[in-house]
Formats: sequence, C-alpha cells, structure tokens
Amino acid sequence: MRGGEVLRDALIGQWRYALPGAVLAAGHQAGEALVPVVVGVVIDEAIAPGDGGALLTWIAVLAAVFAVLSYSYRFSYRHAERASERAAHELRLRITRRTLDPRGGAETGRLPGELVNIATGDAKRVGAVHLSLTAGIAALAGLLFGGVALLRVSVPLGLLVLLGVPPLLGLAHLLGKPLERRSAAEQERAAHASGVAADLIAGLRVLKGIGAERAAVDRYRRTSRDSLAATVRAARAQAWHDGGMLMLTGVFIAVVALVGGRLAASGDITVGQLVTAVGLAQFLLTPLSILSWANGELAQGRASAARIASVLGAPPAVAGGDGVLPRPVPGAVRLRGVSCGGGALRGLDLDVAPGELLGVVTTDPKAATWLLRLLGRSADPDGGSVELDGVPLATLDPAEVRRAVVVAEHDADLFEGALLDNIAAAAAKDSAAAGDSAAAGDSAAAGGGGAAEKAVHRAMAAAAADEVAANLPHGTATVLAERGRSLSGGQRQRVALARALASGAPVLVLHDPTTAVDAVTEARIAEGLRETRQGLTTIVVATSPALLAAADRVVFLDGGAVAAEGAHAELVHRPDYRAAVLY
Amino acid sequence: MTATDQRAAGEPKGAERGGGAVRELLPTASGPRVRAAVRRLARPHRRTFLAGFAALVAATAVGLLTAPVLGRVIDLVAGGRPASALTAPAVWLAVIAVAQGVLTAYGLGLVARAGEGVLAALRERFVERALALPLERVERAGSGDLTSRVTNDVSVITAVVREAVPALARSLLTIGLTLVAMAVLDWRFLLVALLAVPIQAHTVRWYARRAVPLYAAQRVAVGAQQQELLGTVGGAATVRAFRMEDEHAERVAARSLTAVELMLRGARLSTRFYSRLNLAEFVGLAAVLATGFWLVRGGSVSIGTASAAALYFHNLFSPINVALGLVDDAQSALAGLTRLVGVADAAPPSPDRDAAGRTGRGCEDGSAESDGSVLVSGVGYAYRPGRPVLHDIDLHIAGGEKVALVGASGAGKTTLARLIAGVHRPDRGRIAVGADGAGPGRGVALVTQEVHVFAGTLADDLRLVRPDATGAELRDALARVGALEWALALPQGLDTVVGDGGHRLTAAQAQQLALARLVLADPPVAVLDEATAEAGSAGARALEASAAAAVEGRTALVVAHRLTQAASADRIVVLDGGRVVETGTHGELVRAGGRYAELWRAWSDGRDG
Repeated sequence: MRGGEVLRDALIGQWRYALPGAVLAAGHQAGEALVPVVVGVVIDEAIAPGDGGALLTWIAVLAAVFAVLSYSYRFSYRHAERASERAAHELRLRITRRTLDPRGGAETGRLPGELVNIATGDAKRVGAVHLSLTAGIAALAGLLFGGVALLRVSVPLGLLVLLGVPPLLGLAHLLGKPLERRSAAEQERAAHASGVAADLIAGLRVLKGIGAERAAVDRYRRTSRDSLAATVRAARAQAWHDGGMLMLTGVFIAVVALVGGRLAASGDITVGQLVTAVGLAQFLLTPLSILSWANGELAQGRASAARIASVLGAPPAVAGGDGVLPRPVPGAVRLRGVSCGGGALRGLDLDVAPGELLGVVTTDPKAATWLLRLLGRSADPDGGSVELDGVPLATLDPAEVRRAVVVAEHDADLFEGALLDNIAAAAAKDSAAAGDSAAAGDSAAAGGGGAAEKAVHRAMAAAAADEVAANLPHGTATVLAERGRSLSGGQRQRVALARALASGAPVLVLHDPTTAVDAVTEARIAEGLRETRQGLTTIVVATSPALLAAADRVVFLDGGAVAAEGAHAELVHRPDYRAAVLY
Repeated sequence: MTATDQRAAGEPKGAERGGGAVRELLPTASGPRVRAAVRRLARPHRRTFLAGFAALVAATAVGLLTAPVLGRVIDLVAGGRPASALTAPAVWLAVIAVAQGVLTAYGLGLVARAGEGVLAALRERFVERALALPLERVERAGSGDLTSRVTNDVSVITAVVREAVPALARSLLTIGLTLVAMAVLDWRFLLVALLAVPIQAHTVRWYARRAVPLYAAQRVAVGAQQQELLGTVGGAATVRAFRMEDEHAERVAARSLTAVELMLRGARLSTRFYSRLNLAEFVGLAAVLATGFWLVRGGSVSIGTASAAALYFHNLFSPINVALGLVDDAQSALAGLTRLVGVADAAPPSPDRDAAGRTGRGCEDGSAESDGSVLVSGVGYAYRPGRPVLHDIDLHIAGGEKVALVGASGAGKTTLARLIAGVHRPDRGRIAVGADGAGPGRGVALVTQEVHVFAGTLADDLRLVRPDATGAELRDALARVGALEWALALPQGLDTVVGDGGHRLTAAQAQQLALARLVLADPPVAVLDEATAEAGSAGARALEASAAAAVEGRTALVVAHRLTQAASADRIVVLDGGRVVETGTHGELVRAGGRYAELWRAWSDGRDG
C-alpha cells in the first residue's frame, strides 16, 4: 500500500461532500472578486454622475453579491469540513483495525505513542487535504475571475497585475525559505521547553522522593532561557519576513496605481475602473497566497498519507490459516524441536496433557517471552512445530488459536472502564470453552448471563481481586483510569489475573502473574488458581515457589531446552533450579 | 483532562471520580489574581512592550496614508491633470510601503521579545511552584490535573501569545486608526461606518455564548478519543490475546464519532459567525458608498475622497474578521492562565519542608548532623475520614538499622513508609528524624516502584540529585547498584539520551537508575517501597542486590513482599490491620510462631516440600 492510494481513497471516498464544497467555494471567491468591481461601478455610474437611481440599483447588486458569497462560503466550508472529518475518522478506524488485526505486525518497530500520533495527527492531516483542496480550487476560481475582470478593464493593466503577482509571491517565497528552515529548527528548540516541563511534572513523585526539586527547577530555568533565546530569534526573523511582504505588496500597488493612473489620465480607463484595478490588485494577492499555502498543506498531507500507508500495509507478524480446531478443545499442547528467538529456544520438546497444571521455569527471560509468543501465535518458530490437539498452530488463523489459547502476559494492560467490565471482557466471549470444554459446567460464559457472572466472581475470588474491589470506593463498579493506572501494581496484577481466569480458556498461559503481590495473597492465589482451572490446561511461566508448588509438574528450561522436570518439591534439590526459583 | 475542561466551561469546582478516592482538583485563580500575576510578569518588559506598540502604531498610521494618496491619484485623474503629475504620488506610495514594512517588522520583533519573555517567566514560575506543591496535594488532585496544565494550558497560552496577540494587536490598531482616518476624510464617513458595529457586537456575543462551551466539549471529546486510542493501541497485544478487537474498534469508533460530531458543530457555528459578519460588511460598505454619493453631490468631498473612504472600508474586512475570530482563542488562553496562576498560588513560595532540598547529606539543610534515627510515636492516619489506615504506631529505628515492613496488602505498609518519608502528615502522633528531632521527610529519600527516567542524557538524569557530581562519582554510584555495565554499554555510554524520545531503558534498568540516584543523594535515611517489585521475576534478584547495596551505610525502611528480603533485615516489623503486631529478627519471629511465622511458612512451603 502506498501513500498515494491512501490519499486517493480519502478524497474519492468523500466526493459527495467534497464536490459541492469545491463548487460553492469557487462561487465564494468569485463573489469576493466582484466586490471591488461593483465598488468601481458605483463610483463610475452613480457617484461621478450623481445618479441616485443608479446608486440604488448598484447597491442592490452589491447586496446580491454579498448574499451569494456569504452563503457559498457558509455551505462550502461546512461540506469541506464534513469531508475532512469523515475521511480522518475512517482512516482512524482503519488504522485501529489494522493495529488490532489478530495477525499483528502493525506495531513492529513503532512505539505506541507513534501509532497514536499516526491515528490522530496524520489521519487529521490527510483529511484536511479536503480543506486545502477546496481552498485551492476556490483560489483558482478567484484568480480566474479577478483576472478576467481586470483584463476587461484594461488589457495592459490586467497583464501587468496577472504577470506581476506570481513573481512577487515567488520572491516572497524565496525570502521566506531560509527563514522557514531556520525557524523550524528554532521552533523545535522552543517546543523543547514545554517537553522538559511535562517530563519533570511526570516524574514529580520521583523528584520529591529523592529531594531533587531545586536542581530540577534550576535545570528547567536553563532550558527555558535557552528556548527563549531561540524563539526570540525565530520571531524576529518572522517579523522581518512579514515586514518584507508588506513592503513588496505596497510597492507593487504603487506600480499598479502609477500605470493605472496614466491609463486613466489618457482616457483609456475610467476613474471607477482605476479603483477596481487597485482593489483587484490587492484582492488577487489573497488567492495566490492561498494557493501556495494549499500546496504546503498538500505536501504535508502526502507525507502523512505515506506514514498511514506504512501502517496499513505493514506485513503481518504471522500468516493466516484456515485450519480448524476440534470441538470441544481437549487442550493437549505439544512442542517438537522448537527453535526461535536467536537461540532463546533450541530444539525444545514439551508435552502438556489436557487438564494439566504445568509450571515452567526458565533461566533466560527471553525463553519465557518466546514461549508465550509461540503459544499465542504472535510469532511462529524458526524450526520445529507447536501443536494443539494434534493441529499445528501454523495452519490456524491466529484468531482461531486465541479462541482456545489465552496468553496472559506479565505486562498485560487493563483498560479504561469499570473494574467488573475489565474482568468480564474475556468471559463474555463465545470462546471454545463455551459449552464444549471439559469443564464447561462451571466455567465462564456457559451461555446464560448468570453462569458468566458466576465465573467472573469465582475468578475474582481466585485471583484475590475481590479484595481489590472491596478497597475501591465503588467496588467492582469503580471506573479504572487509562490502562488501569489508578491501581497499584499489585492490584493491577490481580485484576489482570482475574480477567485471564474468567476467560475459562481451554488452554491458559500465565506469565509471572503474582510478582507484585504479597506472600500471603500469593499463597491464596496459588490455591485459587488450581481450583478454578480444574480440568483445564494451564501453563504458568513463573519463578514463584508458591505457584510452582501448586503445579502438577514443573519443567525447568535452561539453554533453550528442558534441563529437568518433575514436581517442584523434587526439583528444589537441584542447585541450578534453586538459584532460578528461590531467592 | 475531563475535570479540568469542565472547569474551563465555567462549572464550579468539580469532583472527579478516579480509581481511588474522590478527586479534589488544584485551584484556579480569580480574575484579579491573574491580572496581578500577569502585571508582575510583564513589568520587567514594560519598556520593550511600549516601544513595540509605538512602532506598530506608527506603522499602521503610515500604512493608512495609502488610501488618501490613492484618492489623490484619482482626483488628479478626475481633474484632468497630465500623466506626469502621477509620478510623485506613486513614489509616495512606495515610500509609505517601505516605511510601513520596516516599522512593522521592528514593532513585531519587540512585541515578540517581550511576549516571549513573559511566557518564559510564566512557565518557569509554574514549574517551580508545581514542584514545590506538597505531594499529598498533587495526589488528591490526581497527577493528570497537573500534567494537563503543564502540557495543554501552557501550549494554548504559548500559541496565543505567539500568534494571536501580534495579529490581534495589528488588527485592532488597523481598525482604530482606519476609523480615525475616515473621520479625517469626513466625520460623516465615520458615523455611517459605525453602523456595522451593532451587528458585529451582537454577532460576537451570540458566538461567544455558544463557542465557549462547544470548544470546551470539543477538547474533552478529542482528549477522550486520544486516551481511548492510547489505551487500545498501547494495549493491542492484550486486546488480541483476549480477542477484544471488535469491542475496542467500536469504542474507538464511538469516541471518534463523538469528536467528529462536535467538530462539525463547531464548523457550523463558525460559518454562521462569519456569515453574520458579512452582513455587517455589506451594511457598512453600502452606507459608506451612499454617503460618498450624497457628499460628492453636495460638493463637500471629491470623488477621490469618496473612493478613498470606500477603499478604507473595504480594507477593514480582513482585520475585523481576524480580530473577532481571535475572541475564543483569547478566552481559552485566559482559562489556561487561571489554571496556571492557580497552581502558583496553591504552592507557597516560602521554603517549606517540601520545597526545600530535603535529602542528601551534601545538601544545605544541615541534615549532615542527622544520626539517621527515626522515631514514630502514637501515629494514626486516615485517607478518608472514619476509615483509619494506621492506628497508634510506635516505632524506633536506630541510626544505620535496616528494618523491613511486612504484612498483607492493605495492612498499611505503604502509608507508614510515606508518613516517614514526609509525603503525608500524620493525623495523630509525631514523627521525628535524627537526634535533633527534625520533622518527617528531612534527610529521608523515598524510592518506590514508580520509576521515571528523565528525558536527557543518563548523566543529566543522575545529576538531578547532585548537580556538581563528577563523572567518576556518577560511575561509582552506578557501579554500586550494579548498573555500570549496561550503562557503559549504551550507544553513547553515560551521554546516551534516555527517557521519553530517547533510548528506552527496561523497567529493571530504570529502577537501578533510581537506586543510583539514591546513592548520589546520599541521605541518612532511605525508604524503599517495593522498589524491586515492578521488574517481574527475571530481574528481581539483581534488583534486590542493587537495593541492598544502595542502602548500605544508612538507616533503611524497606517495604517488602518478598520475605527473603525481609529475612536479611536487622529487624522485621509486621503490620496487620494498621497496627504493629510483631517485631523482632527473622529468627525470633519464626521461633515465636506468630503471624510472621505463618507468612514464612506460606512462602517457603515449596522449599520444605
């Protein structure tokens, strides 16, 4: 996908609004060009000869011109704005959809903030191309109209203005170019001051904890002074640019007045026509500068479109597939000779029986990360295969895999919304667990709302998230801030665990679910986990003795492969295992 | 964001429901306070402002000569004078243009210099006062309140000062002086030109009434959309894992549609606004033309003068639109100012315990003599009235002693730690630090699991706690917490830009950095509140070693959920339900068979297996 296509889609998709918008905008500029023409006529036809009837007639004409330009402006801008906002909205949704696509890949190499900027700022700029195009078309219409009016007044004067204005603006553009470059760099330094301030405020607690407020203030003052110097330089350059523009246009008007005056003196044009010519010479500067502005906006829109295209066209992290899992999903997981992650896993063989609670201990954090990625199919192995109930995951659509396998990452996010909605988000799914898994009777979302509700409450109790709710002002109805930031780390972990348990997935993979939870609560969670997942396959990648002791079997991975396996109580006699687990 | 914008819309002090308690936003300043603050900030730049405005007035006045000179050209033509007579006025036109250009550039430059100076002083003052706010106050308001003030309000005000103020000044000057010039042509021109004013005044009132709440609603909606996108895009992996793609796409769509709808309402409003102004333009222009007609017929003015009046009025169109269009920008900047000045007023400029550099033996507050002992006597605390979190805590920590706080979630560990660190003030009882009995917080550093890497180089980040630290001292501090190896392995070593927009550190690295800052700050007392929890199990052991090294040689209070951390402390204090239930060494408590022994059994179950 290329930027051009994005831009074209955004434009053509809104033609219903864009087209009438452009037509009306042209009408508006034509009206604006007519105003000085009518003023000239009033002087010639009414004021100079002292004709009252003509005055009334031409004022009525002026009223009509104003009515047309005013209404055209009003509806053209509304149409253009609607086209712009709608195009941006649709792009925003396409980017969101692409980011959330089960096959992944959109985030590769991008920070979340960058993607959000693309979905907001870039989408907006592409949409705004409608506004600049409309303005550009209107400016062309104004130029055309004003030019024709001028040529009708006098061919030499018309040619002088029409041929004189573009080089004038070109000159101004040339004058502005180096300024623009310099000021862009300096604006950036100026923006730095606000950035540093926001950063210091974001780290306020840390600063105060360590008593570094004074040093921070001193540092900020230096940054701010630095920015100030840069901004003042940029502002001064801008001021001279503006002044220069005034000079150029003023001198130009003087030339038009001189030439027009001479023509009028020799009787080639009337006095009113001279007024019209001067008025039009001033007027024509506006559409021309609109054109150069629209050109700049278009360039920005193109750059934004290219960034959007790179997200929409990002290659998926894993390919789709059309395989189907057996229903119900028994939940037997089998890894054969799996290698990936540049040696994170090396020829790993692993079997998990249906309904088993398996603990996995790794010496290398990368091995844990890759194991999780493979099981949730956010990545495929370089070698070997991962199978669920005899079906290789690589032949399944990632969405199909996640109907059966839920991977709860250590840093899983919570979302803005009520605590209960966060936990129930996955329980309400028609997952493969619903009605057909081994433990469907007491698992999540077994159809009726009552059963789902029960599953959510069981999950909350098992994850000790009920205690979290009890300490919040509105219990489970408490609205969490963005990404659950209003909770402490330990509270977030318990709520996220409750969500994972409430999903009732046939295969649940948990990664370090209790690192920020105190020892007493952790013991309670280990027990609750075992009970809730009775009969369902569960893989816990962790180093917590309490959780590992609750597992049916523990696998110890070292050097990317299984180094030992057995009950936690047996494995603790191995020194390397003790080193990895007990600290 | 939401709550502050409600305030912008003129609602009374709002209470925002966050995750925790009911929020109490930071104050906003009253009109007179804002004016006083702005006057104070502007005072040093008064001369520059005046000179700048004088230059702009001169520039505008010179520019207004254009119309009468053009009128003169017309009169010369109408009077049948030879073409050569036109050269002089044309040269005058060029001279006017050059003078106007130079004066405008000079004036704008001066106004910008003064405006930017005020702006810089404002943001510096704001940051200084914001950092001096008691942490407790910030937390009651939610840190989002302060963040939105420093980002949104500062940028709105900056944009207005940088763009709107010069444009507004020039437009108003042009309007005022044009009206004067029209009066000079003939006072009757001025009179009829003013016919447009009632229409314009009415339009602005009509518009402002609708625009202010609408734009406030727009900002809220756009902010909500941004937040939704951040949540969804930032949490994309989680959304996929739980197959919540459809709900989240719908949530984004709903927020986006709300914002689009409000933007379109804004477009409808502003187009109606400018349409109404068109009416004023027509009425004024028609009246000026008609007046010209009567005056020319009556012989009191020439055709050239009448033309000049018409040209004057036609040239007023765009400055009037510019000036009136800036009304709402000015209003939003004013709303932002009330919030910035409000923060400055909320924090007393006098050095209190929070404003002063309160840690660090090297700091100026005399904590060098502190022996690092901590005495807590009869302390009680409640976040919400009627729901005490701590009751009657008595605790003495000797200088250099390492004490571990243990207990279940909600037992009050963090609260006690924060009281000792001086974040909160006890409701009852007393906390003294050092032999001289200084208040809580003096000479105490607090490191929590909340980490923040300051944007800038790694060395700059560390120097925040000790600005004069040498490179060797920085490396020593990093080495002590085991962070030197990775720090030197960064692309530019200690000069690598880290934090927002720079090299991303892992959670464990960021936490080690926080511990290195603690080493550099070198306070007699250190409070660590689960400073090793965020790293997950992988980095936790390394972090615990770092933490142990960082508190070496000082009094330490460590809130720990890993009992191994507690086991190595000199003394363990067990909290339950906000009371101290046990204290003693690990061995003593395990033998005592009480609450701690129970915890230890739960923890080490697997080991006994």
